[in-house]
Amino acid sequence: MDIFLQQLLNALSLGGTYALLALGLAVVFSIIGLINFAHGELMTTAGYVMAFALAAALPFPLAIILAVAAPVLLAVVMERVAFRPVRGASGTTLLLTSFAVSAILRVLFQNFISARPVPVPMPAALSGVINIGPLHLGIIQSISIATTALMLAGLTLFLNRTVAGRAMRAAAEDFAIVRLMGLRANGVVATAFAISGLLAGVAGLLWVAQRGSVDPLMGFLPVLKAFIAAIIGGLGSLTGAVAGGFLLGFIEVMLQAWLPEAWLPYRDAVAIMLVIAVLLFRPQGLLARKTVLKL
Amino acid sequence: MRPGMTLSLTVLALGLAAPAPAEDLKIGLATAQTGALAPYDQPSLAGFQMRVDEINAAGGIAGKYPIKLIAKDTRSDAAQTALVAQELVDEGVQIVITPCDADPSIAAGMVTQAAGIPAFSFCATTPTLPLAVGDYMFGNYPADNVQAAMLAEYAIGQGYKTAYILTSPDTAYTLKLPKYFGEAFTAKGGTLLGEGTYAMGQQDFSAEVTKIAAMNPKPDVIMTAAYEPDFPALMRQLRGAGVTTPVLGSDGIDSPTTFAMGGLVEGVVFSTAGFATEGSPLAAFNAKYKAKTGEEPNTVYIANGYDLGTVIDAAVTKAGSLDPKAIRDAIASLTDVQGVTGAISYAGTKGMPLRSVALVRITGGKRELVKQGVPAPADVPAP
Amino acid sequence: MTSPAPLLDVSGLTVSYGAVEAVRGIDLTVAKGEIVTLLGANGAGKSSTLNALVGLAPRRARRLAFSGQDIAHLPTEMIVRGGMTLVPEGRRIFPTLTVAEHLLLGGAKHAGRGPLAETRAEMLALFPILNERLDQKAGSLSGGEQQMLSIARALMSSPDILLLDEPSLGLAPQIVDRIFALVSDLRSRGLTILLVEQNVALALEIADRGYVLVNGRIEISGSAADLMASAEIRDAYLGA
Ligand SMILES: Nc1ncnc2c1ncn2[C@@H]1O[C@H](COP(=O)(O)OP(=O)(O)O)[C@@H](O)[C@H]1O
Ligand SMILES: [Mg+2]
Repeated sequence: MDIFLQQLLNALSLGGTYALLALGLAVVFSIIGLINFAHGELMTTAGYVMAFALAAALPFPLAIILAVAAPVLLAVVMERVAFRPVRGASGTTLLLTSFAVSAILRVLFQNFISARPVPVPMPAALSGVINIGPLHLGIIQSISIATTALMLAGLTLFLNRTVAGRAMRAAAEDFAIVRLMGLRANGVVATAFAISGLLAGVAGLLWVAQRGSVDPLMGFLPVLKAFIAAIIGGLGSLTGAVAGGFLLGFIEVMLQAWLPEAWLPYRDAVAIMLVIAVLLFRPQGLLARKTVLKL
Repeated sequence: MRPGMTLSLTVLALGLAAPAPAEDLKIGLATAQTGALAPYDQPSLAGFQMRVDEINAAGGIAGKYPIKLIAKDTRSDAAQTALVAQELVDEGVQIVITPCDADPSIAAGMVTQAAGIPAFSFCATTPTLPLAVGDYMFGNYPADNVQAAMLAEYAIGQGYKTAYILTSPDTAYTLKLPKYFGEAFTAKGGTLLGEGTYAMGQQDFSAEVTKIAAMNPKPDVIMTAAYEPDFPALMRQLRGAGVTTPVLGSDGIDSPTTFAMGGLVEGVVFSTAGFATEGSPLAAFNAKYKAKTGEEPNTVYIANGYDLGTVIDAAVTKAGSLDPKAIRDAIASLTDVQGVTGAISYAGTKGMPLRSVALVRITGGKRELVKQGVPAPADVPAP
Repeated sequence: MTSPAPLLDVSGLTVSYGAVEAVRGIDLTVAKGEIVTLLGANGAGKSSTLNALVGLAPRRARRLAFSGQDIAHLPTEMIVRGGMTLVPEGRRIFPTLTVAEHLLLGGAKHAGRGPLAETRAEMLALFPILNERLDQKAGSLSGGEQQMLSIARALMSSPDILLLDEPSLGLAPQIVDRIFALVSDLRSRGLTILLVEQNVALALEIADRGYVLVNGRIEISGSAADLMASAEIRDAYLGA
């Protein structure tokens, strides 16, 4: 029982990071129909800024602020430079554009920073353990869970309490009509990218805190997971992305925990099969939003 | 038009004035400048290039064969590596260097073996690599089974009776090295309590760590060949779950990230290709490298790449010609070539070099030599 | 002519979607305080015309002026802020947003809280049913309520001219009557209206003038009374 609870905590921590990432993808997809594969490079950017800020001996809180601000800025610039010119183009065009942006950023990281991992020395205080009864929770794991909860709560407040947030929810349902409210389309899209940059930055820091380094290819795997999570949840549904993230984390941890040893090498294959099973029952994902005809 | 004309006239004049050109040894580099293997191939190449520059400054190998390097990026892709190897062979190179991983090296080896061109992998450690390709394929780094034998010998010496290994099926290195360790450890009387697995790059070990924490009895030691980003994540999560069991690792973790992790990696012992004791050739090399590039040689792959230059120098000198077959035969008969990481022999091996392994303990963020040497051949698990 | 310049003045308006030319160079004016109706068969180009006027469909025009200002190159949001808005075909409410949120977004152009609250109070007085449903998700409203909400949302921007695209579509007859009564009422409060409607008889009853679109071209235009009397219209739309 204790072990199960412990694994549940583990699932919560991993699923939370996936949820943040999937949410970042979904926020943009819901509005302009773009799956931004360069989301991973936003994470990597947060990692590099953190590494350089710490290397420059900046105070830790300042380093965190800079590391989160950088991907927000980069996301907005990315939208302005790369995605706005192709807005409204076919899904394939959008996807290819995001692949290109992602590849260009990776090459820039490799050539201008380093192909090799750059260490991100986290303060020693972050490597402790918190014991709750029989449960052990690493400090980074606890921070990860707390940060996810905070981000989700903050985003929920933003989406439900502010005009900009409500405009984003409306835009996710029917972008053209939001413009009929006199709301600036570019503003709404830029806000969506800024939020996705924020989510990528926070998730990137949590990711880097675990691994202690950042390299040019760091973002690829997490963004793939986020993509799977977003598909499970129903692309374009924000709640679905969060649900998908937690479900994927839960599936991965529980399979790792309870699959027989001989099966463990096939854990990811089994996980993907479960995901496909979910999609067989709900082809549109867990919480698909109804597709709206656009003008 | 004018500058071009002047230039060609100058070239012509130089050509006339220069002595008969020496015959070049053309070495093709089918290695990764970008992608996942770049972090290993790039430093290897930096060291190799440095040695080649020295050889050329001294008039070439044996004073008559200057080395010409032709480098093409494999982008860390196995198919691309084979393609690049083919291009290099077509350009008439006499030696090919392949990436720091068995899979692309085998892909390239298929091409070089068929063409009868000797090939070295910069730092692939899979002992079956030359067996999979053929007699023209060579390694350049202490093999997995050799590293594992050293680690097992150390574990038994520490009085560890039980061990747990953590493998990843994603590469031969992360899968086989711990398994060789298990073999050598049980052969010397230890008991293997179990084997966990992880998927590379996912850096979530929480489920695995929870299982280890719940083990009863607990293992005396945990051995893994995980490296970045997995190894730091593993250590963080392992210690974060209150598991204090000693951990043994392999050369993949010999990187700045590991040493930046502070208390989390305190006491970790790992195998690597060399250790710079004071006054050793490696220490001298490190100083030379720093003087030349202004950078600390923060990974042993640099020295290992440098030593490959020395090995090739010795082989071509011994062959006395640039004939690929003669070079291959010379490599296979090399004994005790003095590299900066120690003596290197190919005679009597199946393509992987017999060369010294260092065991290093991380103490206070610094490296501390535990032991250095070559394990007894009988203790090395068969590939 | 000595009459003042029309509020909406369009000439040579063309809408094409790639190779499909949905509207082919039409001329159209709407004077302040008028109800003008745009009639035509399915696919004639009525919705395309309205969408083009607010910048939601690709358009070209010799002249596209609203309140004397050229709006041919303004984005939708600026046109709406300038005082022209559209109640789109099919209502297009946001299913997961509440009624209150629709009104808030509809009034997004109002700068202060004061004007926003004032307009909102006006809307709730005009549509009492919405007052009862403020916190309900729009997707759970009945079709008639959704249409009221769609109109209220558009009116929240306090427009000078309202473009209405088939407001009676799919609604029960009593509801249709209520909506048409409302449209007349809005005009009597000074709002100018351009109405697209399938129900030709009802439309001509409240309209001052009308245009008939056929295959993207205006074939007939005139006063509502003349159109009502026209044999062609009678044959095409009003049945024998
Ligand atoms: N977004 C669009 N893309 C391509 N063709 C369209 C689009 N919208 C409308 N059309 C075409 O334009 C023509 C006019 O359509 P529409 O303006 O909706 O007519 P109406 O509102 O009079 O029924 C039709 O042939 C329709 O198929
Ligand atoms: Mg229509």
